[in-house]
Amino acid sequence: MVDASTHTGLSRRRLLAGGLAGAGAVALAGCITDPDPPDAVPGDEVWVARVGRVPFDDPSSDAWKRTTPTAVVMDAQTIALPHRPTPVVPEIAVRAVHDGASIAFRLDWDDPDHDDLTVQVDGFRDACAVLLGPGAGDQAIRVMGSAETPVVLLHWKADWQRDMEQGVQGEAEVYPNRSVDVYPPLLLEVPRDVTADDYRAADATEWLPGLHVGNVLSADTRATCVEKLLAAGFGTSTTAATQDARGRGERGEHGWHVVLSKPLAGTEGNEPALEPGRSYTCAFALWSGSARDAGGRKTPSLNAFRLSLEA
Amino acid sequence: MPDVFNWQINRAMAYPYEEARPQRQAAAVFDTNKCIGCQTCTMACKTCWTSGQGQEYMLWNNVETKPWGSYPLAWDVRELELLGPQHWDGDTYGGKTIFEAAPAGEKNIAWKPTDMDYAYPNRGEDEVNVTLTVQRYHLKLPHDMWFFYLPRVCNHCTYPACLQGCPRTSIYKRQEDGIVLVDQERCRGYRVCFEACPYKKIFYNHTTRISEKCVFCFPAVEQGYQPRCMRNCIGKIRSFGFVSTPDAVREDNPIDFLVHVRKVAKPLYPQFGLEPNVYYIPPIHVASDAFLTMLFGPGARQAIETYRKAMEGDDPELLGALLLAVSTDRIMTRFEVKNGEVRGWAENGEEVVRMPVKVPTVERPPFDPELNVYRYNIT
Repeated sequence: MVDASTHTGLSRRRLLAGGLAGAGAVALAGCITDPDPPDAVPGDEVWVARVGRVPFDDPSSDAWKRTTPTAVVMDAQTIALPHRPTPVVPEIAVRAVHDGASIAFRLDWDDPDHDDLTVQVDGFRDACAVLLGPGAGDQAIRVMGSAETPVVLLHWKADWQRDMEQGVQGEAEVYPNRSVDVYPPLLLEVPRDVTADDYRAADATEWLPGLHVGNVLSADTRATCVEKLLAAGFGTSTTAATQDARGRGERGEHGWHVVLSKPLAGTEGNEPALEPGRSYTCAFALWSGSARDAGGRKTPSLNAFRLSLEA
Repeated sequence: MPDVFNWQINRAMAYPYEEARPQRQAAAVFDTNKCIGCQTCTMACKTCWTSGQGQEYMLWNNVETKPWGSYPLAWDVRELELLGPQHWDGDTYGGKTIFEAAPAGEKNIAWKPTDMDYAYPNRGEDEVNVTLTVQRYHLKLPHDMWFFYLPRVCNHCTYPACLQGCPRTSIYKRQEDGIVLVDQERCRGYRVCFEACPYKKIFYNHTTRISEKCVFCFPAVEQGYQPRCMRNCIGKIRSFGFVSTPDAVREDNPIDFLVHVRKVAKPLYPQFGLEPNVYYIPPIHVASDAFLTMLFGPGARQAIETYRKAMEGDDPELLGALLLAVSTDRIMTRFEVKNGEVRGWAENGEEVVRMPVKVPTVERPPFDPELNVYRYNIT
């Protein structure tokens, strides 16, 4: 790993200049009007500035002005079937900050549609992800790690956020005028809609098979809208046992501004821990619900980036 | 990509996994000539498996009317349209399977349904093939018009499109009986399987947000009992057991007998290339060979001729094998027709069915001399 304490002064000046220009470009504190600030510069690095306190789930926080966004070029996904032959956007802006205990990323990208329901069979969600692994910009991370180099994913989902803000969504929200008779074996006094708690009370959760086996996608409560996963290659991503990632997305004028954050320390056995002053590898991906994106049908970043944490 | 052999289309074809057949393959035969569309099978399955919240629209078992019905809406018409020309050279399929017709960047060609496509399961029910006019149809037998019921479940294919579609290998085919299942822990609701299956027998749960499918009542099958839809069939149209490949046929296995020996039981849309394991005895009143071939492959007309012979009494063994349908809730692996009787045995050797092929009848004369009365209302 590269020791980021030897990071060149050029980058620090760029950081400060970017921060000041950024302060001028952003109209009002807490209000985002332009997803691509004028001082976004391409490069092969995501610089993680040290701030007093990481904005865990606040895309509008002033803390984001402390760092320079990196312009990340996006790519088609043509490695694993089914492909996504064209990227949903050509480029996104990525910012990152840490406070010695946690790290947070903010991803900004254009998306005219707001897709946050996965109830219907043709309902797909907007999502974004940060992929973290060892090395210092090792491009091999783009195959989702390997057995020798496991990686961590932070995966923000628009429908999980809606679940958090409005209660876990289901048929009652999508089909509000439907009538309900009975769901055997729940014998209720009057016909009404049922909840997972009704099934629990009747010791009958096998009627919600995904929930019964503990599949995180089937949960009836949502404590976070960012899932932490571990992966060691294509098709191996697995929900981490400890879910300590947080985040939130906001709709801007053109699209999404999404924060994904997690503690620097790793909680899983093979989860890489992050230390200030050191460098790692990161990559990014987007999913567009209106394009029926899911799984490998995604828009990944063209390259992996060196993730350098300010000491 | 490996080449696997698909005996239903009589040739090798491309498939992403090596040919790896299970130790034995659970299979069924449905006689379309006996289905009355009572939907008891649908109710049996719905009551047992899909009565939970989020499963309301799911019909793991459905019965649709042909030619105008479909669930989901126009599923087969859309899939066939996408597939393009499907011609047979004798017994060999000369067109493309759904895998061979895959567009660039996809694993197979597929139609992608919406929620609303599942909202009309009874569309086209009981509708005949032609528009009725003022013609006096009743004066001609058989009638020119027809419809039939097509009951459908997951076919637990030898080469499942759902299984090969899943990027996470969350779908697997059991070694012991070839039943195909979705791992509820592993599924992440990508729905590639849901799009891939040409028969549209994978479903997405609105509440749990992951995918589910017919499980062939595997807990019952493991105990030697037939699935619920099979054993509850009022019309007694369904035979359930295990099918062999053509090179390993056992003539006293009821399913092998129907599929391989008498060849009256045909796969549905074999041209998709999945080698489905639910077989159909084609409807005898359909006049169009083209329609029959489109649905059941090139042997459909011959299957009907063979079936008719049995119904006319010229094939007691076939008649006996057909009579075993829903005669017991146990799975039979052996049968025998002898001396006007048909017997069936379960895998453990237990005789589970023994019945006359023809129900014995007694004729009573109109006058009873013993009681010195005429018999009235004897019917």
